[in-house]
Amino acid sequence: MFFHIYLERNMQLHPRHFGPHLRDKLISKLIQDVEGTCSGRHGFVVAVTAVETIGQGLIRDGTGYVTFPMKYQCVVFRPFKGEILESVVTMVNKMGFFAEAGPVQIFVSNHLIPDDMVFQSGDVPSYETSDGSVRIQKDSEVRLKIVGTRVDATEIFCIGTIKDDFLGLIGNPGGGA
Amino acid sequence: MSIEPFRRLVKLVARAFYDEEIPPKGANRSKSDKSDNRGIAVVILDALTRRQWVKEEDLARDLRLHPKQLRRTLRVLEEELLILREHRRETVKGAKVYNAAIAAVSEQPSEREGEEKPKVHTHSYCCLDYAQVFDIVRYRIHRSKKKIKDELEDRNTVQEYICPAASCGRRYSALDALRLINVFDGNFHCELCDGELVAESDKLAAAELGDGDGEENARRRRREKLKELYEKLEKQLKPLQDQLTRVKDLAPPDFGSLEAWEKRAIAAGRIPGNDASTSDLPKPSHGQGPSGTPMPFLGETKVEVALAGGDTKKDEGKEEAAQLKVLPPWMIRQGMTLTASQRGEAKSEVKTEDGASLAGPDTKDVKPAEEDKEEQARKIQEEYLKAYYAALLARQQGAEQPTAQPEPVETGAEAADGVEETGERQVGMKAKREDGDEGEAEEDEDVEWEHAAAAEPVEPVVASQDSQFSNVGDPDPAPDPGGEFDDDDDVDWEEG
Repeated sequence: MFFHIYLERNMQLHPRHFGPHLRDKLISKLIQDVEGTCSGRHGFVVAVTAVETIGQGLIRDGTGYVTFPMKYQCVVFRPFKGEILESVVTMVNKMGFFAEAGPVQIFVSNHLIPDDMVFQSGDVPSYETSDGSVRIQKDSEVRLKIVGTRVDATEIFCIGTIKDDFLGLIGNPGGGA
Repeated sequence: MSIEPFRRLVKLVARAFYDEEIPPKGANRSKSDKSDNRGIAVVILDALTRRQWVKEEDLARDLRLHPKQLRRTLRVLEEELLILREHRRETVKGAKVYNAAIAAVSEQPSEREGEEKPKVHTHSYCCLDYAQVFDIVRYRIHRSKKKIKDELEDRNTVQEYICPAASCGRRYSALDALRLINVFDGNFHCELCDGELVAESDKLAAAELGDGDGEENARRRRREKLKELYEKLEKQLKPLQDQLTRVKDLAPPDFGSLEAWEKRAIAAGRIPGNDASTSDLPKPSHGQGPSGTPMPFLGETKVEVALAGGDTKKDEGKEEAAQLKVLPPWMIRQGMTLTASQRGEAKSEVKTEDGASLAGPDTKDVKPAEEDKEEQARKIQEEYLKAYYAALLARQQGAEQPTAQPEPVETGAEAADGVEETGERQVGMKAKREDGDEGEAEEDEDVEWEHAAAAEPVEPVVASQDSQFSNVGDPDPAPDPGGEFDDDDDVDWEEG
């Protein structure tokens, strides 16, 4: 699920950036620093949308760096148990398959794959129905439901299922349904 | 501290989960297959509910089990977190402390005092951990129910993987998948031994059902099977569940660590060899550390409090209360003799002779160097009053039954008249005194009084009857002057 929230961060800026573009530099550095990171508390930071305030800078003793407290608005993505996501398969093995939904990695184990789909090893490992009408392989698009999350301080990992109504393959590797 | 519901809980748990053969975990599986240890865990757990901390050797001896066999079962129970075990190397002294503690909490006097091991030895002790048992059992039931429920509702559970290597056997969940994946073959490998993991199949019903007829049919059958299983579980664990809810709000008995328990038991109980009588209750700590002097008499002090003695404690200072506790049992018994004299004083009766006897046994028995005479006299007086009321009560109760005639009739058996309490007793005493040793007669009577008092809170009528019967049965048999005889007599009555 996506959220638009306020976050705060202390940015340290090297003295060489001091000048007319100090503020721009600070913002670009903030974006560079936080976008794409993950915290267990808020989830993945997808994008910084606005910088709310930049506080008084404080020169740190000894180094000359200046610390600016910044408050900014950003979009975060945090997966929840029970959430439905659309994802792209990244790897298939006999234990199940891995998929990615944006930054988050999801593992679907083989017993959370419908019973009529069986693992086919070979050149391109895949899960296939007996009549071959549905085939999940690398780069397939899959709609899945998250059944468990593991949230660490800097990492979020999910396990999902496609063993439910309306879940499963939604797009083949080449594109198209 | 209510221990009984917890005891029951443990017994139920033992029967519910440990009445089968306990599969020993780990390597030496084949070895123990020979011996049949079915049900032994139940026996051991039952035995442990009747004990607090117990030395495993003693437990083995009591249960007629081989120590090895016992230890094996105990180890399993320890792994199941039902019991606490403690091992320590101890010398004779350490064993003594334990023996003292055991004697303090058990009914029988410890007969092992003499037999001491001369060398340092590792001893193991075990004890039930009631609080933990409660938690563990709740958790276990919750887990088993959840497992069936999840499968029944086809809820998506997190798949688990285990390392097939016997030496490793590590478990992983699907949440660890990212770390486990091997870049070369794309399979899951154990972090420790790099063996390829296998999915753990924990489906309960799937295994025994063949998938002969259609998918839909098999699924339905599986569901039925699971439902049945769940209902069975509910039904069979019902008593256990009830007991768990009953116990929920009670504070579990906590014996603490072995060392703490020993200290407490010795402080609360009596030193072995001093006196051996009732009170096997687990005593809460009274904040009295073990000191040089035995503090033997807490059990009966409590009894007195239950009778009428709240006020005694209040108006006396704290040190006096402590002093009262310190009094050894024989002291109080003799003290009753004193109270007899005090009774004479109070009722302005036979004062002189008893006054003499007051000083006699008192100084002889107690060595009350620091004891304040007046204080003691007052205490004794109060004790006498309590005993008196108790006996009065006993008499009132006994009055309904003609056979169990209370005390005055017994004296009246010799004096053959019963008018009014004080006068009658005087008459009775006189009659006795004519017979033989006056002090003896007096003491005899007093002892009986004390008995009524001591036994009062438990079973007033029976106790007094008993003592009277024994008195009536042999009215002053073999007039043996001296306290020895009286003491013996006492013990007999108590057991009778």
